[in-house]
Amino acid sequence: MRFSGFRVIKEALTGYKGWGPLWRNPEPQPSYDYIIVGGGGHGLATAYHLAKVFGGKRIAVLERGWLGQGNIGRNTTIIRSNYLLPGNEPFYEFSMKLWENMEQEFNFNAMVSQRGILNLIHTDGQRDAYRRRGNAMRFAGADSELLDHEQVRAMYPWLNFENARFPIKGGLMQRRAGTARHDGVAWGYARGADLLGVDLIQNCEVTGFRIENGKVLGVETSRGYIGAGKVGVAVAGMSGKVMAKAGMRLPIETHVLQAFVSEGLKPFIDGVITFGAGHFYVSQSDKGGLVFGGDIDGYNSYAQRGNLPVIEDVAEGGMALMPAIGRARLLRAWGGIMDMSMDGSPIIDRTPIEGLYLNAGWCYGGFKATPASGYAFAHLLATDRPHETARFMRLDRFERGYVIDEKGVGAQPNLH
Amino acid sequence: MTDLAPMTALGGSLARAQSFGALAIAENADLALASLAQRRGAAQPVPMGLALPGPGLWHAGNGMAAFWTGPGQWMIEAPGRAAEDFAGAVKQAAPECSVTEQTDAFVAFEIASSAGAAPILSLLAKLVNIDAAGFGPGSATRTGLEHMSVFVIRRAEDRLAVIGMRSAAGSIWHALESAAARLQGE
Amino acid sequence: MLIPHPLLGLRDAQEFTYLGDASLIHRPDGMAENAAETFFDYVYLRDNPAGVHRELWFHEQGDRSWLVVTRDTTTHEILGAELARDVALAAKGGAQ
Ligand SMILES: Cc1cc2nc3c(=O)[nH]c(=O)nc-3n(C[C@H](O)[C@H](O)[C@H](O)COP(=O)(O)OP(=O)(O)OC[C@H]3O[C@@H](n4cnc5c(N)ncnc54)[C@H](O)[C@@H]3O)c2cc1C
Repeated sequence: MRFSGFRVIKEALTGYKGWGPLWRNPEPQPSYDYIIVGGGGHGLATAYHLAKVFGGKRIAVLERGWLGQGNIGRNTTIIRSNYLLPGNEPFYEFSMKLWENMEQEFNFNAMVSQRGILNLIHTDGQRDAYRRRGNAMRFAGADSELLDHEQVRAMYPWLNFENARFPIKGGLMQRRAGTARHDGVAWGYARGADLLGVDLIQNCEVTGFRIENGKVLGVETSRGYIGAGKVGVAVAGMSGKVMAKAGMRLPIETHVLQAFVSEGLKPFIDGVITFGAGHFYVSQSDKGGLVFGGDIDGYNSYAQRGNLPVIEDVAEGGMALMPAIGRARLLRAWGGIMDMSMDGSPIIDRTPIEGLYLNAGWCYGGFKATPASGYAFAHLLATDRPHETARFMRLDRFERGYVIDEKGVGAQPNLH
Repeated sequence: MTDLAPMTALGGSLARAQSFGALAIAENADLALASLAQRRGAAQPVPMGLALPGPGLWHAGNGMAAFWTGPGQWMIEAPGRAAEDFAGAVKQAAPECSVTEQTDAFVAFEIASSAGAAPILSLLAKLVNIDAAGFGPGSATRTGLEHMSVFVIRRAEDRLAVIGMRSAAGSIWHALESAAARLQGE
Repeated sequence: MLIPHPLLGLRDAQEFTYLGDASLIHRPDGMAENAAETFFDYVYLRDNPAGVHRELWFHEQGDRSWLVVTRDTTTHEILGAELARDVALAAKGGAQ
């Protein structure tokens, strides 16, 4: 089944009887060449690219609940490639290029919207830091523009420019950044993978690994043992728990991040605005709701819900930046649990166990990485070599002293 | 020689004071402060005859007062002695302890109620996440006030003190003033 | 979350800052033969359990004590708190 304008009109005229489920619901086979653990964005994108680009056969994605129940369906949908370090920026720019072609490629509307992201500047020091970052982005082929105070004012005249503590002096703009519909991304990759013969197996929790002589043979699941040539784990916030079953301790702590949506308002925020100094960022959804968030709660959590102090903090940040939202009502708040790594950057690598591969450590920023993470993980699984852009994202970089620490705060996950 | 004029923490030549209904808030520019820390293993001192209180408490005596700030640590207050070398006097009285001058590091606000405990309790409830009912006279603690770190002391049923960082004096005044003004409106 | 401070009673978790796993109290010997290995483990690797977790909280807007708080990471229920100093001394056999 292909989606097209013609098809939409035809279905509208014939009572929508032709739409079917987007993917099969297969029974697990006794064994596969490749098993991907975790049916979130990264797991689904991995399976899709493995089948499509690397010609992988006999692939299964095992998901504990339903596809997209995790962070892929809980994030604030921002996509961008405005990182600083050479270990990160080429990878995120690769991801941005994949976002730009994704919908045509998998024939599904993921509502990718390049509405631009603006990081606000309040001090000379911050301007210098953002100028450097903007240059680093350009070196990696990304776009960046340093805006002055007047240019920001022309875009968003209602921001609080004269805040005593954080007056707005300008911003770093990436116009190709923006948002995408998070569920749509999961569904698009799921459908794409299914069409290429990947078995998407839901309600199938991986409970253990069968490992002999340092080599993985398969996985124990809530639906029985399934053999595998190679196993790739992409379970985000559950990474520590799942890898512990293979006897591994990770450079990761699991933390909760909250997000918020207001009632629908008339359109007034065209792009994404980040107010790093005030721990607040915001965009406006197509339905008019303000989608916003701030810092992680800051303590280890698997609870998928946070606490009130952070809600207050985020609301304060929002009010400091845009007092106009003071009367808007908050409709929803939720939390997701994230794999906060020790340097704030991700891991796409082999493990010491032969045939077992790890994709983890995405912190609060793995949504934008979804296409490149899937591509790079598929590359690694298929060829046993890291993808060019992901070659620094090694598991052993902490031991070797090659951390990728964008913020320079050290091994303190709640500060990244 | 340059003609230097003393300024209070809020920048005035006189300490600021303002009333909000039953509550009066006054900058206490004359309060001398010295911190005192007991060395490991040493006996608890009784500087100038002042008994040092236990965790969460404040105790006044001999024209001074002390409140507990942490295990083995106290802040000693002396009203009206900000211009003296008060820390020197404390050090002399407790030579085996570490004593540090704190007067100019902090700003103190004294809050008095003319209608008994009720306005003090309402103000506490608005300002800090401390159980006001359990914070009776003689209680003292450090806590957060609008993201700023402050000491709160219940000097009596109808008296409260808030001591915070001197550089944040204006912000603390603003917080106290807004809360008291809102109570007045309620 | 309210943390039952051993000296001050129930205090709002907002007054504290969080460091992480309480095993950080036990800093390895930097002069030992295998120091590089043990420090890699100490600095970077975590058990990160889903369930009961013993962790370090600093009472910054309070008495500046370090506490070891026992908390369930799946529910945020706080099961207890001790002074980190007591925990560290107990591990060293109680001597000061
Ligand atoms: C509130 C919030 C806001 C965010 N905002 C942004 C943003 O604006 N931009 C951005 O780039 N990133 C953002 N992120 C981060 C981003 O969502 C994540 O980094 C990313 O989604 C993680 O990868 P994933 O999609 O594969 O994870 P998930 O969707 O969580 O997928 C992991 C899957 O593994 C499954 N699983 C776990 N254990 C097992 C098991 N034992 N067996 C089988 N399956 C298992 C889970 O059920 C889950 O479906 C945000 C995150 C949160 C929580």
